[in-house]
Amino acid sequence: MLIIEALSDALVNGLIAALMAVVNLLPASVSDAFQYAFMQRALLTSVLVGAICGMLSCYVVLKRWSLLGDAISHAVLPGVAVAYLLGWPFFVGAFITGALTSVGIGAIERNTRIKADAAMGLMFTASFALGVVIISKLASSTHLMHILFGNVLGVKHSALMLTFVASIIAILTVWLAYRPLLLYAFDPQQAQALGFNTQIIHYGLILLLTLTIVASLETVGIILVVAMLITPGATAHLLTDRFKVMLLISVSIGVCSAVIGLWLSVVFNVASGGAIVLVAFSMFILALLFSPKQGLVFRQWRHRKRV
Amino acid sequence: MTTDVVNQAVAIDIHGLYAAYQRQVVLENIHLAFPAGKWTAIVGPNGAGKSTLFHVLTGSMKALEGSVNAFGEPIARHRRAGQIAYMAQREAIEWDFPVSVWDTVMGGRYGHMRKDALWRRLLPARWHHARHAEAVHEALMAVDMREHAARPIGALSGGQKKRVLLARALAQQASILLLDEPLAGVDPPSEQLILAVLRREREAGKTVIMVTHDMPGARRYVDHVVLINRFIRGTGAPDDMLSEAKLAELAVSSIEQTATDRQTRPAASYSPAQG
Repeated sequence: MLIIEALSDALVNGLIAALMAVVNLLPASVSDAFQYAFMQRALLTSVLVGAICGMLSCYVVLKRWSLLGDAISHAVLPGVAVAYLLGWPFFVGAFITGALTSVGIGAIERNTRIKADAAMGLMFTASFALGVVIISKLASSTHLMHILFGNVLGVKHSALMLTFVASIIAILTVWLAYRPLLLYAFDPQQAQALGFNTQIIHYGLILLLTLTIVASLETVGIILVVAMLITPGATAHLLTDRFKVMLLISVSIGVCSAVIGLWLSVVFNVASGGAIVLVAFSMFILALLFSPKQGLVFRQWRHRKRV
Repeated sequence: MTTDVVNQAVAIDIHGLYAAYQRQVVLENIHLAFPAGKWTAIVGPNGAGKSTLFHVLTGSMKALEGSVNAFGEPIARHRRAGQIAYMAQREAIEWDFPVSVWDTVMGGRYGHMRKDALWRRLLPARWHHARHAEAVHEALMAVDMREHAARPIGALSGGQKKRVLLARALAQQASILLLDEPLAGVDPPSEQLILAVLRREREAGKTVIMVTHDMPGARRYVDHVVLINRFIRGTGAPDDMLSEAKLAELAVSSIEQTATDRQTRPAASYSPAQG
């Protein structure tokens, strides 16, 4: 364990150094903000979170899982609260309540006449309410606010390490299971006919989502993380017809909006989670207007040329 | 009635199968033997359980009761060995998905790629075993779609989409082909091409099983017919099974061609097998 810790420490420091080498190329008005250690931690956390959210958002968007992403992000709250109380890692508690909620949604959907959207709304709000109640009993409202909306400028070294490890796991999983995941997202019945275990892929993807959400807790918070799980993927989907390219664009959008949002939040002294999401949304609007194939502007122009 | 099957090798053997959606039973007491190396048509009215039968065969739906064997072994083993190819209905696919025709057809090879060396599987497509690209190339040639390989699937016409789905099943080079309405809603040239491809597959010794509403096509091409409407209503030669009297009994019009008994995808799909 000690070796792993030392290794990841070294890796994190290396990554920060590499990031700073890039940042220092920027004009002093920009790079000055990043000279403090807490800003550098915030920067690396944002980059990692932007990257894995961007990656996962491709699957969320293509699989029509936006509402499920929202549900899981809310459902992790009681788990986080209990883990905090017991001194466990956040991820363990978050995964337990996230998974329980998604299993509960499936059970209601299959065994009653309640439809999927109502089942999700029902389960995640109940779970979220339980979390709010637990936290209000145990911790201060500042704690609640930090979990709900993130507190990237206050990211501790331990939280950064958690995000780092979660990112490595998420990226490795998507790389190793690239084809099963792609086939499952595209055509689950074909995946099943080829003998892939779609149950494992399904719950594996939910696990990955939960991991990403927990890793994003400190950066954008659990309310806004769903924006980062939808916007980059939706934007990339407007820009390309290739899945690999979509992954690349989506990750870039995630990273860029996280970094730009963080910087703007420092400059204008506003909440960083909100700033990050708004930057991502502006990129979506740009793509919506100017995408070569799907963009409204070019469509209108082509339309007019035809008429 | 089933005497013509008795002395032949059996590709898929279904024994005492029951299947249900949310407690509503759609297939009851199904006993069926699909002859190996033959072309079988499954015919039945909308909601008769034809697609459900395919869901059970492809493993995306669990049977309540009963067993399904392929060549005498549990069918799951053949699925894992990549020996069961499946051609979905056009409505079951998300055509907005950002993949090219080539990548879609390559999907048929994903089962076989599990047997490749790990280092190949972790690298981009050009490092994969050459036989995968060859199979995709051949399949696209067979359905006359090779020149469309680089196009996104969303840009194709209806008949082309069907041909791409067929190519994906062909690329798998499986011994059993399951086709869910391969001829529904295609233009006449595509229909002729698909029928010709399937005839070639059968001649090459493959077992072809298709759900169809195309009675003239079935009368002309297939070797064996299964009539189904919740129960098995008859099995035998096309001339016997597809007579007007038999079909009237089954409540299918003999000229009905375009109906599909499967709904389009739900907006927020959730369950793992069907989502």
